[in-house]
This record gives sequence, structure tokens and C-alpha cells, in this order.
Amino acid sequence: MRFIALALLVLATAGAKLLASEAARPVDFARDVRPILESHCFDCHSGTEAESDLRLDLARSALDGGNSGPAVVPGKADESLLFLRVNTSVQDERMPPIDGGDPLSAEELAVIRHWIDQGAKVPQDETAAQARRTSDHWAFQPVVRPSADHLLGEWSSTRTARTPLTNPIDAFIAAKCYENNIAPSAEADRVTLIRRLSFDLRGLPPSVEEVDAFVADDRADVYEQLVERLLESPQYGERWARHWLDQARYADSEGYTNDVPRSIWPWRDWVIAALNRDQPFDEFIIDQIAGDLRPNPTVDQTVATGFHRNTQHNREGGSDPEQYRVERLADRVSTTADVLLGLTMGCARCHDHKFDPISQREFYQLYAFFDNSDEPEYRILTPEQRQQREELQQQIAALEKERHELEQRLREQLPKRTVLEPTTATSPGGATLQTQADHSLFVSDEQKKQLEATLLESDAGYVALRKQLDELRGREKQLVEGAPSTLVVQELAEPRTTYIHLRGDFLSRGRQVQPGTPAVLPPLTIAGERPTRMDLARWLVSPKNPLTPRVTVNRLWQAYFGRGLVETDNDFGTQGIQPTHRDLLDWLAAEFVAGGWSLKHMHRLILTSATYRQSSSARPELNEIDPRNLLLARQSRHRLEAEVVRDAALAASGLLSLKIGGASVYPPQPEGVLDSDRTWNVSTGEDRYRRGMYTYFWRTAPYPFLKAFDAPDSNTACTRRDRTNTPLQALMLLNDEVFVEAAQGLAARVLADQSLADDNARLERAFRLCISREPGESEIRRLGELLTAERAALPDDAAMPVTPAVERFPSGASRKERVAWTSVARALLNVDEFITRE
Amino acid sequence: MSINMPQTDTVQRLLRREFLHQTGLGLGSIALSSLMADDGLLAGDAAATPAVLNPLAPRLPHFAGQARSVIQLFMAGGPSQLDLFDYKPALQKLDGQPIPDSYVKGKRFAFVTGVPKCLGTVRKFSRHGECGAEISELLPHIAGIADKITIVRTMHTENFNHGPAKLLAQTGSALFGRPTIGSWVLYGLGSESHNLPGFVVLTSGPRGPRGGSYLWSNGFLSSVYQGVPLRSKGDPILNLANPHSVQSDQQRRVLDAVRDLNTVRLETTGDQEIAARIASYEMAYRMQSSAPELTDLSQESQQTLDSYGAKPGEASFANNCLLARRLVERGVRFITLFHTDWDHHGNKGTDLQEGIERTCREVDQSCAALISDLQDRGLLDETLVVWGGEFGRTPVGEQRDVIGRDHHIDAYSVWLAGGGIQGGQTLGETDELGFYAQDRKQSFAIHDLQATILHCLGLDHRKLTYRFQGRDFRLTDVAGEVIQKALS
Repeated sequence: MRFIALALLVLATAGAKLLASEAARPVDFARDVRPILESHCFDCHSGTEAESDLRLDLARSALDGGNSGPAVVPGKADESLLFLRVNTSVQDERMPPIDGGDPLSAEELAVIRHWIDQGAKVPQDETAAQARRTSDHWAFQPVVRPSADHLLGEWSSTRTARTPLTNPIDAFIAAKCYENNIAPSAEADRVTLIRRLSFDLRGLPPSVEEVDAFVADDRADVYEQLVERLLESPQYGERWARHWLDQARYADSEGYTNDVPRSIWPWRDWVIAALNRDQPFDEFIIDQIAGDLRPNPTVDQTVATGFHRNTQHNREGGSDPEQYRVERLADRVSTTADVLLGLTMGCARCHDHKFDPISQREFYQLYAFFDNSDEPEYRILTPEQRQQREELQQQIAALEKERHELEQRLREQLPKRTVLEPTTATSPGGATLQTQADHSLFVSDEQKKQLEATLLESDAGYVALRKQLDELRGREKQLVEGAPSTLVVQELAEPRTTYIHLRGDFLSRGRQVQPGTPAVLPPLTIAGERPTRMDLARWLVSPKNPLTPRVTVNRLWQAYFGRGLVETDNDFGTQGIQPTHRDLLDWLAAEFVAGGWSLKHMHRLILTSATYRQSSSARPELNEIDPRNLLLARQSRHRLEAEVVRDAALAASGLLSLKIGGASVYPPQPEGVLDSDRTWNVSTGEDRYRRGMYTYFWRTAPYPFLKAFDAPDSNTACTRRDRTNTPLQALMLLNDEVFVEAAQGLAARVLADQSLADDNARLERAFRLCISREPGESEIRRLGELLTAERAALPDDAAMPVTPAVERFPSGASRKERVAWTSVARALLNVDEFITRE
Repeated sequence: MSINMPQTDTVQRLLRREFLHQTGLGLGSIALSSLMADDGLLAGDAAATPAVLNPLAPRLPHFAGQARSVIQLFMAGGPSQLDLFDYKPALQKLDGQPIPDSYVKGKRFAFVTGVPKCLGTVRKFSRHGECGAEISELLPHIAGIADKITIVRTMHTENFNHGPAKLLAQTGSALFGRPTIGSWVLYGLGSESHNLPGFVVLTSGPRGPRGGSYLWSNGFLSSVYQGVPLRSKGDPILNLANPHSVQSDQQRRVLDAVRDLNTVRLETTGDQEIAARIASYEMAYRMQSSAPELTDLSQESQQTLDSYGAKPGEASFANNCLLARRLVERGVRFITLFHTDWDHHGNKGTDLQEGIERTCREVDQSCAALISDLQDRGLLDETLVVWGGEFGRTPVGEQRDVIGRDHHIDAYSVWLAGGGIQGGQTLGETDELGFYAQDRKQSFAIHDLQATILHCLGLDHRKLTYRFQGRDFRLTDVAGEVIQKALS
């Protein structure tokens, strides 16, 4: 016992000696400090993926510091985070953390203190250049176009003869199928093909006439021509805009608790138009991320920035506006990364990404690009309205000048009129004016204004002028307020300073950051002195960006096959699922860029492939080898999206309006869906029958039909929709007013069609209006049985719900016939095949 | 009334095939295992039983839990714990005095500005039951079941605005896009009800629970797990009733035709999704009779109705409590009742005088009746009941039309009862002004409460995960400790 105490005493003395000598002798970072840091800190704080971005293996980066700011203040150990954190007695604060190693000894602390107090000199041989973050993860590597030549062979299914491959897509797919000893499927029949194409490109079923013409056409390139025709149809823009709206979290209200209405549909319409004119995808993105920073931005480019105004907005009483501005910005970063980069950037908001090489600092560097924006409302005037407005403004300016001059003249008369010598006076406004020694009245500024106003208003010419001005201003206001408004982004003149939010808390400021992009990706090129959102936009769609083209073509693939080549379409990071056909993915990405980022070019390529044209029928032998159809030896069969289900019903019934764009509309919905203080005035006329994508979307009370069929809630970016199969969907299709009305419309349509000779012809027509193909014998028989049973069971005065569609029945049709045929129509609108894309 | 389904040869064949499929013997067994992998069931949890085609099929919990169902009584707006469960004599003494700076230095409130002044309660508190729980005169009925409930007085949360706080309370995160607790439970355990949804939402009060569908959202889980609002007016479930003037035999004829046409198509394509569609339609049909039967409160005895204060046909919290019991009886897994208007800032009508009295009257009797009724029917042991809001209210006053209280996140009260819970105790003590928990270690977070709810159901909150965007997500994020003392 005594021996131990003695030994401790000796050690302590030695320590004291060391302390004394350290103070005198210059401390060298490499020789003295680094070994201490190495043994206590390097596990977390060294290299390019250091925690909190604090790297202590280099003196220069220790000075520079991490997320919390500079770690060292040269000459002042007691003000240096590095020293304070290792020296503190507060357990929660101390580094290394309790479970992360032993605390530093007194000697070690002394060494660090002296190094700092002596000026924290950086070793001469330490270079400033920090090693860049690198990764060998596949998705971060450049896209290199693989050759398909060696693969080109023949497409052979069990049922058709071999056909030579001309489309590289097929070469990649077929090669992998053959590797696994399976053969691709034969081409689907023509009716299935036109129905599939029509749903995929227009979101609508083909008309019976279109089907017949396509089936009868024996030109060699009839399929290719159909693809062209559908790509040129205006409904193509609507269909593909909806995919984009999902990702942009588009809705018609602000969300959160108050969820007040907003007007941003002009942005939605801009998307439709941009897709219809096949605006190159890189330009499409640049306009949306930074359209306001284009030189002299056009109306379209301004409206396009609405992409990032689709964030929710919290106006709850007692909420801190800055807190929710920060939420919107964080959403913009996450959404940009989800949608374009396929990266789960949101994970890095509070701490460095756990799996991917993305630091918290990099999250806030991206955030900094968006931090400088203002969020105004923007009125969209037509060119005529703009001209009218300019004319009004000119008139106003001229009259203002006139008024100003008159005012001057009248003011000059002011002293001449005050010749009285009152003792006190009361102004017209009721103020008591003090008489001064020189007999003038002392008038405060406020009082002076009142006096002048009274004076001016007593001049008839002035009053006339003012009235004229008021009127013109009123007209201008009316003009502007009558124009549709939308939400846009506008750069602030003075940039905000952006800080890291420690632990994601907006009140805990860490170090300041400059706008920048993740180091693991190709470097950012900047056009001016400071990186701007425009630089970010260009970087996102730079041909060198390995992610954006891959992610984008993968989503196209996902829409056409039900699953992307990378199944985790929004996670191309290290936790994502590897691509099933990496060579094909890269080929498509390279082709996308080479083709000038034309989406239509990519659609064309995929749609004309044999892979796309395969039958989707299940093949029992594939259940064993490839149950999830990853090899794509057949097409996939899947339920239509919510809006498409609605549109298909309205199309079959002949009720559908094809009007494009405009403010969102209010089709019938059951009562009681909205809170009592919200209104839903059901639209009339053709707006009752608009496509599903135009249905007004309240974030907190979405249109029930859309929700039941897995439409996204629009709160966060949705890059892939769910496809469920639930009893609530059955209730919707069976009982919802919209579907009852569609059934009536369909029944009326076949009853009114004079070309249909008998029940069978009518049944067949109704079937084809819904399902496109000819019904099978058993199907037509079963529908006939239903019709017969209805006629037998229904009373002569059978009733049905009253909707506007009832007026479409031919007057000669009896009540019983109307109802019986409506039952048949309801059955057709409820069969699985009707809501399925095969 | 029941209608016999004709069993055609095709249907027979289909049923036979589905049997093979379900037992994993048929061709579909591989497809089946891939379906399950889709659901994260094989990867996530070996204890889970196969979901087959129905992702709502009942699954085994991680361990034997006491509770099979949960009734969540969500008091939206934030009830004032200081006027209900947490009596603070020192606060009475300091009434009207500025609160010591040490409490509020650097503190942000939603509305309170300037120098906050203490606000005592005007309510009388007394001790109730054998356990002697201190409960105010505003809740005489709940006081009567003091021995059956566990009051937790030291809950805390993270956000003082209603929207984000409710989101946090329901999903474990103030960020959007996460599943609510009911969806998690349904995902974990499936549903035992064959003709009602497994996660049902009931609302009452002067307006909807602001925040609407976020509060029963499935988030990134499959939308089969979303909460289904049961409405008090019109159809209990949207579009449940046949279209106007369509008779039930007519509806059945249409359904039969649909089923037969679907069966033909199933034969042609071999796509099992069509079999699932057929099953969905049959369940929808069953729902059409079971849901109206469920909501028909006239089947209850007058005594029962009176005990809840329920009146058939009325939209009220009392009716919803009775409905909750009926839902539990029918095997529904998770039931959330929202009752609004606890936001007693001191505006006209929403104050700590008549406002809170009215709100308490609206819920007190029926909450107590629900507990007693569940117990009388032997259901309390397997039903967990959780009462509480998204936060509490400040010990300092907020001056509006009259004086009221602002949102308070540092200490507020909730109570639990039933399956898995040790009744008759009060957990946690707040400091003398009721501002913070006296002991930091006895301050419970939302994630702790959520972990406890899952625990009572036999679910380990650390194991109930779902992989999304490369990460295994949990209801309790990276935190949560079961409140052990609350357990029986």
C-alpha cells in the first residue's frame, strides 16, 4: 500500500517536471500532439469521413474545425473547443465520450494546451490539400456506355420463331435470360399492346375504333407509328406530368394543421406543356431549380421554379416562421436528392450519413444553395394583359406627374392664405394648434399633413385628378388580381449566411458553410464568384453527374415494367439494392445524355423494344426460376394508378372531359370528408368529368377515391407508388357516386347507339369500351345472365340515383332497361381487368 | 340476412388452389416467399407468420403480450395537466407572481411573451381510490376508476406547435412520411377482424382533429395498414352503402357477375392478384353488413348507453367510446379516438373556466364507462387504453380574452389502463411548479410511451422495423425505453 502511494507520488512529480519543461520547449504537432490525438481521437476524427467533419490527423484541419466551428484558436487554449472538450469535467460533454476511450491524462492535456498557447503551429510539410472523399460504390462511378454489340443475337420465345435483335435493350435482357436458361415471352397480342401503350402514354384506355384500326393495319411499322402518335397526343404530357407531380409533392393546399388553400396549378400546367414539347430533361430541371436565375427569365421559367414551392407551409398560430422556413429548405434538399440523385440526403440533416459518404456539412452546403431564396406569389399575365398593364402604368405615371405639379403649385399658395392672427386654432383634424410668439401657428408634421390634405381636397382640379388616379389604380389592381397566381422562388439580393444546424436543431448554430456539392460526386463548376442555385442546377444535370441520368432512366423503366432496374429507385446509395442489369442501366443513362436528354427519345427506345412488347401472362415455369420477374422474361401486369382508374371509367362511359389544365376542380365526393369549415362545391359542366389529376387535393383531407387507390399524400416526395388491393377499393368502385354515374353513362351509351342491333351487340360493345378486347364466349354469356336476371328481378318502375348522366339515356329506354343495363355496366367497371394494365 | 354464394366449379378449383397456395405447397410458394420478402417480413422478423396473399393476416408477436387491442383516447389540443392530474401547492402560492427566471431562461413558448406569471388552478383536487391518486374535481368519473389506471405525470415532448407535436405523438417523428402507431401495430400483428378494417379512427369534438389524415397515415408502409376513419354521419365507412335505390339482392347479382368474370380471367392469366381482388370484393361485401351492425348502438342495453352517456345516432365522444368497445369485441387491432378542443388558451369558449369544464364533461363519464365496461366483459386484460394529448399546458398564464395556459412540452400527464398495465399508481413527479420532471431519469419521452404500448402488445420496439430508403426504420426511431414501472 505504501509502495503504491509512493509510486504515485513519484509519477506525479515526474508529471510536474514534464509540465514545467513543456512550457519552455516548443511543442511540435507531428512529434508531440499527433500521437496523443491518434491514441484518443483518431477512431472517429481522422481521414475523409471524420465524424462531425472534424479531422484531427492534420493540424490544418484541426484549426479549421468541424461542424461546431474552428477547434483551435491559436494562442488561446482556454477558448479552443479542442482543448475545452477534452479537458471538461462535465461527463456528457467530455471527449472521448464515456464509451469511446479513456480521458486524456494531465500530461497529455498539458501538451495540447501548450501547442495551442504557443500559437498552434502547423508543420511545414503538411499540405493544405485534403484527400478527397472517394468511394468505390458502383453508382458514384462515371457512366460508361457499355457496348451491346457482342450481345446482339436473336429474340426467341417458346412460341415464336427467332427474330433478330435490333434494339440494344433486348440484347441486354435476352442475354441475361439465356444465361439463366429461360426464354423471353412472345409478343403480346395487338389489343393488349395498344391498351398497354395507351395507358402508359396517355393514362387512358384506347377507343374501340383505335383498337380496330390498329388490329387491322398490316403495315410493317404500325406499332412504331402508334408509339409516335401517342407520344404526340396532348394526354402524354398529362400522364407523365402526374409521375413528376408525385415526386414534386404537388397539392392544392398548404398542409400542416391549418392547411389553407394555395394556387400553384399554373406550375402543374407548365409541367404538362414542357413534357408535351419534349423540353430536354436537363433544361426542364434547370428551369425548375433555378429558372429565376436565367438571364431575363421568361414567364415560363419563373413559373417553373414552383417545383420547390410545393413544400408544406405551417401557419399555425404560435409557430416560429424561421423554424418552418428551415423545414421547407430541408425538404427542398431531401427532395432534390431523392428525385434526381437517388440519395437519402435527408439522413445527413442531423448527423453524418450512416451509410453513404455524405457528411452533415455537405447537407448544409446543399441547403445553402436554397437558403437565399425568397418565396413570393407571382401573377401570370397574358401578353395582352401585360400590355394593358403597361399602358395603365404609363397613364398612372403621367397623371402622377401632373398631380405632383399641381400639388406643388397649391402648396406655394399655402403661406399666402394664412394671414390671420389667431390666439388658438383648431385644425380640421381636431388638433389644437399653438400660437407662437411670431403669430405663426406651430404645426406638427402630422398636423401639417392634415392641413395640406384639407387644402388639396378643396381644389376641384386636384380632386378630379385624384379620382382619376384612384380609378386607374383600381383597374390595375383588378387586372393583376384577376390573373392566375402561382408560387415561385426568387433569389434574394443579399445572400443569407448559412450555418450547420447541430443535431438538426435550427437554434443550434454550428460553423458557417458555403454552398457546395457532396465531395464524392464530380466537382461543381461555378460561373461567378460565389456558387449559385444556377450552378447547382447545371451540376445536377451535368453529363458528368453519374446519378441523375441513371436515376431518371431507372424511373422510366419503373413506370413501364412495374419495377426499376434498381428496385430502390430512391436509394442508389450503398444500402440500395444493386441493379439487376447494370449494363443496361448504364447504356440507357448514356443514351439519355447522348440523345440530348430527350425523354421522348427514351420512351421510344423502351416502348419499341421486344422486352416491352412481351406478353405479361404468368408462366408457371418462371415461378420457380424467377418468381419476381427480375429477369423480365415477361411483361408485368399491374393495377392502374388512382387517377387512371377514374379516367378509364369516365372514358368508357363517354363522360370524360379532355380539357387540359386550369384551376383544380371538385368532382363529387361523399359528404363529411372535409371539416365543417371547408367547402367542396361540386363542379358543374365538363369540370365534373375532368381527369383525376385535376381533382383538388387537400393535403389533410385528400379526395377519398385517390387515397383509396394509393395516390401519394403529397407531404413528401413520392417516387414510387404503392399498389394495394383492398376492400375499400371495392367499395369505391361499387358505390361511389362517380362510378355509379360512369356506369349510367356507359349504359346510356350502348343503349343510345343505333348501330348496335341487339343485346349481344350491346354487351359486346360495353365490354370492349371497358376492356378493349373481344369478350370470350363465357364472358358474354355471364353478362347476358346478369342482364336477364336484372330484367326478371327489377320492377317496372325501378329507380336509380339521379345524376347528370341520366339525361343521356335515350328517351325510349324504359326505367327497368336503364337500371338493368346500369347493373351490367357496374359489373364491367368492377372487374379486375378493367383496372389492370396487362 | 345472408345470401348463399353459388359455388361453381371454377370457384371450387380456385379455392383448392388458394389452399395449396396458402399452405405453401403449390406453384405459388416461391412467389409467396418473394411477396413476404417484399413486406420485409422474412428479413425483418423471423417470428412473424406468413402473410400469404393477405398482408393483414394475424401474425405472432415477438413475445407473449397481455394486450391484443389498443384504444387510444387522443385528447387533441393538449389537456391542462395542472387542472386535472398534477396538483402544485407552490404554484397556488405564487399565483400571479413572475415565475423565477431559472425556469424560463432561454425558454421558447408558442405564445407567451414578456415576463411569464405563475397561474395556479381554481380546481379542487382530492385523493381517490385505494391508491390515493390525486385527481381534480373536473374528472369525477375518471377519479372513480383511479385504481384501474396508471397516471404518468412526467411525459415530455419536443415540439410546441400542435401539428408537428401530434405528428410526433402518432409517428415518433415530427417529420412527414412516417407511419402512425396504429399502422405499425397492424403491420406487426395483422388484424383479427375479417370484416372490418384493422385500424379504425373515430373523431369527435367541434371540428376534425386538425392535421387530418396525417394522424392515421401508413407513411412508408403499405397503404393496407392505413387507418380507416369510421364516420359518425352518413355511411360509417365511405361508400359503404349500396348506391341509392340499389337493393341488396341487386348488389349481390352484380357482385356475383364480377366474381365470375374475375375467375375466368384468373384462369387465363394465372395472376394471383386476381384471387386477392376476388377476396377483397367478398370482404367489402361482408363489411357492408358488419359495419352498419357495428355502428347500430340501439343494440346496446339502456343501462350500457346510460353508463357511457351515449345516444344512438348522435355524433359524440361517448358514442365513440362505446363503438371502441364494440370494435375491440370484433377483433379490431387498433382504435384511435380523437376528441378536439383541449386547446384552452383563454379565448372565448376555449378557456380554463367553462371551456375546460365542457370538454371534461364530454369525455369524463364515457372514459370511465369504457374502462368499467371492458372490465365487466372480461376485455380489459387484453385491451390497452391510453389517454393523453400531444402536450400539456404551461404553469404560467397566457392572457387572451381571459387568462388561460399556453402549450407546455416539458412535463404533462397521460394515463394508461388495461392489458399489461399495473393500475392504481401514479408515476413521476414534477418540480414544485409543475414545469419539469423532478428527476430527469423519470421524465418519459413519446418514444418511451410508444415502446410501452408496443410492449403491452408483445412487440419489441427495437425489432419492429421496416426497411425504407436503405435504413431499418422504427416507430421509436433510435430511442425509447419501456416504462417498466407502468407494467403489471
